[in-house]
Amino acid sequence: MTWQLFVFMMINGLSQGMLLFIIASGLSLVFGVLRVINFAHGSIYMIGAFLAYSLSTILSGQSLIGFLILLMVVPPVIAILGLALEVTLFRRVYREEHLLQLLLTYALVLILDDLVRVIWGGEPRSVARPELLAGSVDIFGMALPSYNVFILVVGPMIAIGLWLLLYRTRTGNIIRAAVSFPDTLGALGVNVSWVMTSTFMLGCWLAGFGGVLTAGLSNIDLGIGMQTIIECFAVVVIGGLGSVGGALLGSLIIGTGLTFFQLPFGRWALVFPYALMALVLIIRPWGFFGKPER
Amino acid sequence: MNDQTYPSRSGWIAGIIVTVILFVLPVFLGNLGKTGEYWIWVSTEMIIMALFAMSLNLILGFGGMVSFGHAAFFGVGAYTVALLMKKADFPLYLALPAAPMVAAVTAAFIGWFCVRLSGLYFSILTLAFGQLLFMIVFQWYTFTGGDDGLHGVPRPEILGPINYYWLCLIIFMVCFLVIRMIVNSSFGLTIKTIRENLDRAKFVGINVRRYQLLNFVIAGAFAGLSGGMLCELNRFAQTEFLHWSKSAEPILASLVGGMYSLAGPAIGSSVLIFLKIFLQQVHRSMVEIWAIFLGVLLLIVVLFAPQGLVGLYQNIFHKSRS
Amino acid sequence: MSDPILSIQNLSKSFEGNQVFNDISFSVERGELSAIIGPNGAGKTTLFNLITGALVPDQGKVIFEGQDIVGMEPFDIVRLGMARAFQRTNIFPKMTVLENIVITIITRLNTNLRFVRHWNSSKEIKKRAFEILESVGLADKASHQSGTLAHGNQKRLDIGVALALEPKLLLLDEPVAGMSPEERWETVDLVKDLWNQMKITMVYIEHDMDIVFGISQIVRVLCYKTLLAEGPPDEISANHQVIEAYLGEEV
Repeated sequence: MTWQLFVFMMINGLSQGMLLFIIASGLSLVFGVLRVINFAHGSIYMIGAFLAYSLSTILSGQSLIGFLILLMVVPPVIAILGLALEVTLFRRVYREEHLLQLLLTYALVLILDDLVRVIWGGEPRSVARPELLAGSVDIFGMALPSYNVFILVVGPMIAIGLWLLLYRTRTGNIIRAAVSFPDTLGALGVNVSWVMTSTFMLGCWLAGFGGVLTAGLSNIDLGIGMQTIIECFAVVVIGGLGSVGGALLGSLIIGTGLTFFQLPFGRWALVFPYALMALVLIIRPWGFFGKPER
Repeated sequence: MNDQTYPSRSGWIAGIIVTVILFVLPVFLGNLGKTGEYWIWVSTEMIIMALFAMSLNLILGFGGMVSFGHAAFFGVGAYTVALLMKKADFPLYLALPAAPMVAAVTAAFIGWFCVRLSGLYFSILTLAFGQLLFMIVFQWYTFTGGDDGLHGVPRPEILGPINYYWLCLIIFMVCFLVIRMIVNSSFGLTIKTIRENLDRAKFVGINVRRYQLLNFVIAGAFAGLSGGMLCELNRFAQTEFLHWSKSAEPILASLVGGMYSLAGPAIGSSVLIFLKIFLQQVHRSMVEIWAIFLGVLLLIVVLFAPQGLVGLYQNIFHKSRS
Repeated sequence: MSDPILSIQNLSKSFEGNQVFNDISFSVERGELSAIIGPNGAGKTTLFNLITGALVPDQGKVIFEGQDIVGMEPFDIVRLGMARAFQRTNIFPKMTVLENIVITIITRLNTNLRFVRHWNSSKEIKKRAFEILESVGLADKASHQSGTLAHGNQKRLDIGVALALEPKLLLLDEPVAGMSPEERWETVDLVKDLWNQMKITMVYIEHDMDIVFGISQIVRVLCYKTLLAEGPPDEISANHQVIEAYLGEEV
């Protein structure tokens, strides 16, 4: 392997990992605060991607502004969808057993995935990249796809943004307290249900953001929801359920692993996330960053 | 008593009546030409999927273990039959019994790891293993045919649609009685005890993992048998049999039918299949939105009737009595 | 003369840097009825968890019937003859009272792996189960769903489940917590009777000093991460350290 190839694959793998992080961090946050594993997170992300597609057909051309509008508009719309779901459905099952919570979110997968099919049809779609991001950039004398580089810039920004939000704001303190001490929150005089709703909206916002980025990166079809939710599971299991830092680590491992294993193993590389997920669960079920639940 | 596993006298009578009707059903349907043949096929599928749902409920309802990888054993059973009959020229009477055995061995391997975890982590690990197996079958073209699946599984000449229906019905009846026996045995009481209070079960001296693993293996074996039966009915095995959405089917069936009852999952499974076909008959385009329909039904059950149809029926029945 | 059934040797345990026990040692004589007292947070229940295998100590030994049981699984320790009843009611709520007892007997007899016959087909098991229910005063409620019993009866069932294991050593964690005054003394009498009849070694945790000093042969006081005092009730009630550290603050 030449070092150029290595760098090229690294860029590719890391940008995939970053994209996955944006989506998976939402799943992880929602689990951390709501204690619900949201199977429908992938479907919500898929809606974001298809919404970006529809909006891009209205906003003509490949202008950077148009793409930025997508990034500005779609995630909040998805967050509002999340608000509706949380208020009408999720809220009613927080006190129920895990199974009922999982089934509720699974019911949403069935409904949302089918709605996407009814609305957008089965054909693969994509969003035209703005000209500025469609070509390649010269770094170290190598031509690297600028869209991947763009994701590599945006991903860490999201990560830093999340970090600032979680560790430098009062809301973040409350969210972190909710993750660590779910029972005591009410006693602190915090409006627990508001914390939960806004966390869920944040999770959906991240899913929507990831959806827009995906629509520009590759073709989107009806399978991406399922595929992504499973990859997100792998990520949060590896990183530890509820840990955003863990989600970052897990995403980068999965992203680079998938890319690099393709060389020796070809299509078998796709087995990697599942194998790693099973392995982590066996040796350290609470993940690398999570805490064992007692 | 929350577990509805002790049939009353009326329960017995109802059971016998249903059994008789099920046995003579294909004779009537056989006279209806093409439509009849279609319905015999559908009924056979219902019976098979009912067994699959009951197999899951051994761990789900009676054992309290939420597995999202149960289709793995269903699929392993199906592929066992397909591979043995297509590639090794095994006759059906050897291939079909091999299905639960291979599935049980698979379940023993996977379960050995899974029962070390509990709650959500158990669920996620079963999902991981299930998808791992799915991916292996999906990728291993030379052996499993990949996403083409394995087609043209031979069917012994004696097994026409009606005979195969009867064979499946007899297997189902035997399995039903065996599962009922297991649930009511000392072992059954043991797994229910673990479901009720896993931590306390340890303090009455129950080796929790051991019995959970055994239960997991038994459930896997029945799932494998049902997978083998479906493979022979369709005469093919395909990767969807192992997919996690297949794992969700018996969970939905158990929830709709009622998890704490013996027949509930079987009833729930049949109701769901029937509904799907009924919708299809009403209007072809209805099948397009089957998943939406199923999702809404599931939402309603989760929010308003988590005890399932059987629980709902019992609630109404008890209220009307008191 | 000395015949300890249980002996704790140099036990230490911390949680995330907070030490709960520092080098604690004592022995329980066979046939003894003893109490463990101590202020809230002294780690009384933690001590039971360490003895029964629910938690593993950082250091030290737990010798039960001459065998070091540290690191053994709780269910294996139960099989050696140690049973416990819990502070918070901890039964199998959706099963009947009878089923609660029967599964315990089945497990003691190690017949969990019978698949064919109905669990209630054994006359001996049923007879034994009703004897136990009789002894804890729940025979008439055998067919009730246990989660629907009144709190006091659930605690009795919890004790019954422990008794069904026919233990040599029985650990009771606040057996009368949450009961009305009449129920309390009824249960205390029950415990004392069981101890008299069955010759089981019993250790119980209790807050009610009237009960502790009324029926115990030995009282042990846990405080400051260690065993503060140990002795007959009259000795303990006169112990200055104990009065200062514990009684003075509570009474």
